[in-house]
Amino acid sequence: MLATALCNDGAGMTRVLVIEDDGRTAAEIAAALGDHGFDVECAYTGRDGLLKATGEKYDAIVLDRMLPGDLDGLGVLATLRTIGNETPVLILSALSEVDERVRGLRAGGDDYLTKPFESIELTARLEVLIRRRSMPERETTLRLGDLRVDLLTREVRRAGRVVELLPREYRLLEYLMRHAGRLVTRTMLFEEVWGYHYDPQTNVIDVHIGRLRRKLEEGGLPQMIHTVRGSGYVLRAAE
Amino acid sequence: MFSARLSDIPRTTSFRLALLFLGMGGAGAAILFGFLYIETAGFLARDVDNGLVREIAVRAPKSAAELERLLNERAPLDPEVRRPFALFDSTGAWLAGAPANLPRPLSAFDQPFDLTLPLHGKMVSYRGILHRLDSGELLLAAQEMTYINRFQDLLAGAMFSGGLVVLVVGLAGGMVLGARAVGRIDSVIRAIERIIDGNLSERLPRDSRGGDLDRLVQVVNRMLDEIERLMNEVKGVTENIAHDLRTPLTRLLAGLERARRRDTSADEYAAAIDDAIAETKGLLTTFNALLRIAEIEAGARRAGFKQLDLSMVAMDVGDFYEPMAERKGVSLSVEDGTASVTQITCDPNLLFEAIANLVENAIKFTPPGGHVTLRTVAHGQRVGVEVTDTGPGIPEGERAAVLRRFHRVDKSRNAPGCGLGLSLVAAVAKLHGLDFVIEDANPGCRVSLWHADAAGIAAGRTEPSSELADESPPKAQARLA
Repeated sequence: MLATALCNDGAGMTRVLVIEDDGRTAAEIAAALGDHGFDVECAYTGRDGLLKATGEKYDAIVLDRMLPGDLDGLGVLATLRTIGNETPVLILSALSEVDERVRGLRAGGDDYLTKPFESIELTARLEVLIRRRSMPERETTLRLGDLRVDLLTREVRRAGRVVELLPREYRLLEYLMRHAGRLVTRTMLFEEVWGYHYDPQTNVIDVHIGRLRRKLEEGGLPQMIHTVRGSGYVLRAAE
Repeated sequence: MFSARLSDIPRTTSFRLALLFLGMGGAGAAILFGFLYIETAGFLARDVDNGLVREIAVRAPKSAAELERLLNERAPLDPEVRRPFALFDSTGAWLAGAPANLPRPLSAFDQPFDLTLPLHGKMVSYRGILHRLDSGELLLAAQEMTYINRFQDLLAGAMFSGGLVVLVVGLAGGMVLGARAVGRIDSVIRAIERIIDGNLSERLPRDSRGGDLDRLVQVVNRMLDEIERLMNEVKGVTENIAHDLRTPLTRLLAGLERARRRDTSADEYAAAIDDAIAETKGLLTTFNALLRIAEIEAGARRAGFKQLDLSMVAMDVGDFYEPMAERKGVSLSVEDGTASVTQITCDPNLLFEAIANLVENAIKFTPPGGHVTLRTVAHGQRVGVEVTDTGPGIPEGERAAVLRRFHRVDKSRNAPGCGLGLSLVAAVAKLHGLDFVIEDANPGCRVSLWHADAAGIAAGRTEPSSELADESPPKAQARLA
């Protein structure tokens, strides 16, 4: 149900390069991404990864922060960005290097995930990264089924009727709309809508979503925000 | 094996110091005594010489005949021959006065010199002077030196025996001091041995008289207190981890075994797997939280620090938790009690997490109908956030303990959560140099984080939050920097 991997340019699978020195971790990531319909290739050193990343076209790169040898994750990233390669990069790092998030994002990384992570979190974030690149930003209206969001006036209408939302609820909805049909995890919502980076480990997000859901479904309208057990939410057009 | 052995005493610092002082004092006394002796002896000798010179001077102008008569008259008056006078002719033959031989060879005239004269068959030492009269006769005046010599011997003897007494007393004092030091060190060593053997509650013996060693002992005892506290904390944490992780692991195992035992349908298998995943995620979350706290406590995370408005973070937290409070029937109000912008240097993510933990706790422990207030406050140079609730509060004795990992106030054992929230807040507070204060709000609980700038620290705090002052200060209230 989640394996709605995005088909880039409408042809072929989404290609992801995993640069990770630990063979087992690389294999696990490859398997998890493969399950979600990605075409995965692995590189085990920074040098090899850089060669592959520059030699072929990938939709996204999963890059381990710590790599053996003279070229570590940030080195690979900096080189890619210097030569004008703008492939979205998701940096992986061990928990003890959580301080590196800032550094990684500054070096040109697009997202950052600390180990250990859940494969569903990784795939959800990768899909968002890949989609962000291919999505035109100039839209002024988002539409999904009978739901309409005017990005300029911030007016939300469901089945023609205006839905009154608080600013925070509007931002939640906008984020879900932009990634409609895809799994959005609680952590992603928290980071995007509240702007803080940590795993809140609480059901507060659920309560926020619950409010938004009630407002959207007011008057007995069918459900649009679906909970994915233990992971997050998917916004879909009402049947 | 560590008794005060006699052979140890000379190696003690006290004994060596005593010996050094004894040596220095002895040398000083010897120099003083020597000077006194030489001066006294010199003075006596000069006195004798001057006397002799005067005696000669008085008699020199007299004629030889007159002298002969005077000396013969005088001789019987001095039977001891203390101060003999004698007259010799120019050849050296005795003429008159005390019976004496002219000392040979003749030394210089009118100059005092040492000589010995036979007296009652003994050679007695004299000081004498010789004068040649105009008529050629030789006049000898002498002074017996026995008494003066005896006085000098007495003086030297007194000095020597005095020195001996000082030496003995000094050595004995040194031995006593050394023995005391050895005894003291031995008792300290014995205490340390017992601590090494595992008796961590043992402390080094104090000495009521104070002193250098006692100061050292005090510091070491304080260090031992801290080590014991940390050991107990680590022990408690380990026990808590084991206890808190055993429950979900048991549940996980039971669920998996149940799934295997039964003839289950695919849906039931899927549900069992989902349950197992949920339990495993929970365990992972707990471990991640532990690692995060350890990482924050290590203080390595500073790259994310920036200038930030404290009340803005507080507003965000309030905004985030408002629906949760509403759902529980608790009213959550966010107030800004500061007059101006409250810029502080912090890691916004960690600060949000810390305040969020406080607010979440407050909402969790406040019964429906209660009230939670999140307020940014300013007090002089200091700014802070405080979270006040109308819940049951934290008993005073528990306030230091709640900061420990996995600790939960007994009443809340059944509440959800892993008991790591306040440990994390404490770690974040420490990293930021914030004061973490837990107080009574009567009713309820007030928890606050105070940002202390340099001026604030210098001025000291005046808030009435001293309930915890008597508890182990570093954790409960005092600055966690």
